[in-house]
Amino acid sequence: MLRPGIVLPALVALATVLLGGCAGAPDESEPPVITEAPPTAPPTLIGERVELVVFGAASLRDALAAAKSVYEMDHPTITLTVAADSSAALRTQIEQGAAADVFLSADSVNAQRLVEAGFADGEPVAFAQNALALVVPSSNPAGIQAPADLADPGVKIIAAGEDVPITLYAQEVVRKLAGLAGYPAGFAVAYGANVVSREDNVRAVLAKLELAEGDAGFVYVTDAVSSTQVQVVPLPAGTNVAATYAGVVVGDSTQPAEARQFLEWIAGPDGQAVLARFGFGPPP
Amino acid sequence: MGLSTLAALIAAFLGLPIIVLVIRAAMASSDAGFALAPAVLDALGLSLATTAVSLVLTVLLGTPLALLLARRRFRGSGLLEAVVDLPIVLPPSVAGLALLFVFGRRGLIGEPLGLMGVSIPFTTVAVVIAQSFVAAPFFIRSARAGIAAVDRDLEDAARADGASELQVVRRVTLPLAGSALAAGLVMAWARSLGEFGATIMFAGNLPGRTQTLPLVVYAEFQAGDLAASTGAAAILVLAALGVLVAVRTLHWGRALDVRRLA
Repeated sequence: MLRPGIVLPALVALATVLLGGCAGAPDESEPPVITEAPPTAPPTLIGERVELVVFGAASLRDALAAAKSVYEMDHPTITLTVAADSSAALRTQIEQGAAADVFLSADSVNAQRLVEAGFADGEPVAFAQNALALVVPSSNPAGIQAPADLADPGVKIIAAGEDVPITLYAQEVVRKLAGLAGYPAGFAVAYGANVVSREDNVRAVLAKLELAEGDAGFVYVTDAVSSTQVQVVPLPAGTNVAATYAGVVVGDSTQPAEARQFLEWIAGPDGQAVLARFGFGPPP
Repeated sequence: MGLSTLAALIAAFLGLPIIVLVIRAAMASSDAGFALAPAVLDALGLSLATTAVSLVLTVLLGTPLALLLARRRFRGSGLLEAVVDLPIVLPPSVAGLALLFVFGRRGLIGEPLGLMGVSIPFTTVAVVIAQSFVAAPFFIRSARAGIAAVDRDLEDAARADGASELQVVRRVTLPLAGSALAAGLVMAWARSLGEFGATIMFAGNLPGRTQTLPLVVYAEFQAGDLAASTGAAAILVLAALGVLVAVRTLHWGRALDVRRLA
């Protein structure tokens, strides 16, 4: 049996030891201050490793993981830390003080809003283009054959939150579908009524459909090709939309030169080669 | 339907999801060669470090408060108790929002701190603050009850022998309340380890910096990596079981102590 008289001091001692190990952690997260080198110096001249925090749209998750390994190999002094979530959530976090260096949005709206709110350094840079895909679980539990079936009563549509880029793009597609011959007058309303869940971001929409917890949902083409557990329902010609991804250097970044270098890399040929592997197109 | 059938149904309702989770985790981890995903390992280290710091803060700040609440009656002591208990019943997302309003970049304390170049939200420090905020009440409650149960005659005897107030507290009160303090500590640790809502709102979800184990369960599930999510969840289940065993052992210890005293 544990004697209480021993347990308490032991726990405190353990906590103290762990405290010693952790006290440095917040400091480590602070980027090293570079005073000797001019800010435009290439990072290879700087002895210390620089950590760049990249906030990227959820749809970029896999592509950014690949970009990280390529970029770190080409830039040995840079370490990339990637956080992926909805562009709207990431923008809110930056506005609330999250220490990010680069923000890669799945639209130009969220990047532009960051600029307008005074939280960006410079103008947004378009770096990729995507399109939408209507997907259903491989088992297609609701038997959806065409987008018109989305308005059938009882179809469980998984969508993302109101401010999330995929939702805005999906609404545009639904509007275009509603205007087609053969689509009922109340198609957009019926689609909205069939939404059973609003997920945090597009990857969460994909995950719910992979688990067959929902019947259908709009994701990006890149998400659809990344999954073996969903199938794509073709959209009629002229109803798809082009999603332009734009990135921006965060105004509070303590290493704006390295941040800009990464943003230019992802928009440049090397970054485009990585993005293309995941199905992203070049920016318009 | 007999009482035992009903009891079995309810036990299955409570126990089955956890059992299935552990089985799924075992299957997923044997597929992965019993290796945890890197994100889960990072989160495990971060969770252990941050909960340890939260625990130290909780003990240092919570013990004097527990002593005060257990030993003194004063104007507003009832209100103070309510304030201390509030985080226990408050939804964590509300706690996260409230913490942002105080420590955030435009917050009551966060704004002046920002002028001095200190930014708390979305850092590891914010994780510790969120954990301490939601977990400290568990320790303070248990410590308060334990200290209140200590026989005051024993304290008076020590005073009569010339012990100072600090000596009375350190040598008599706290050791006698030791098992209640330890039980409170274990409960507080469990609560801070499981902290989710306040963390994701106030500290964000950055791998290696603010992404603790519960956040990994959520983030990997959202991203579709069910195996990583399940692995992290299994660690949390094991920790929770350990906490229950520890608390039971501590209460058993107290029962024995009481019997010995009688």
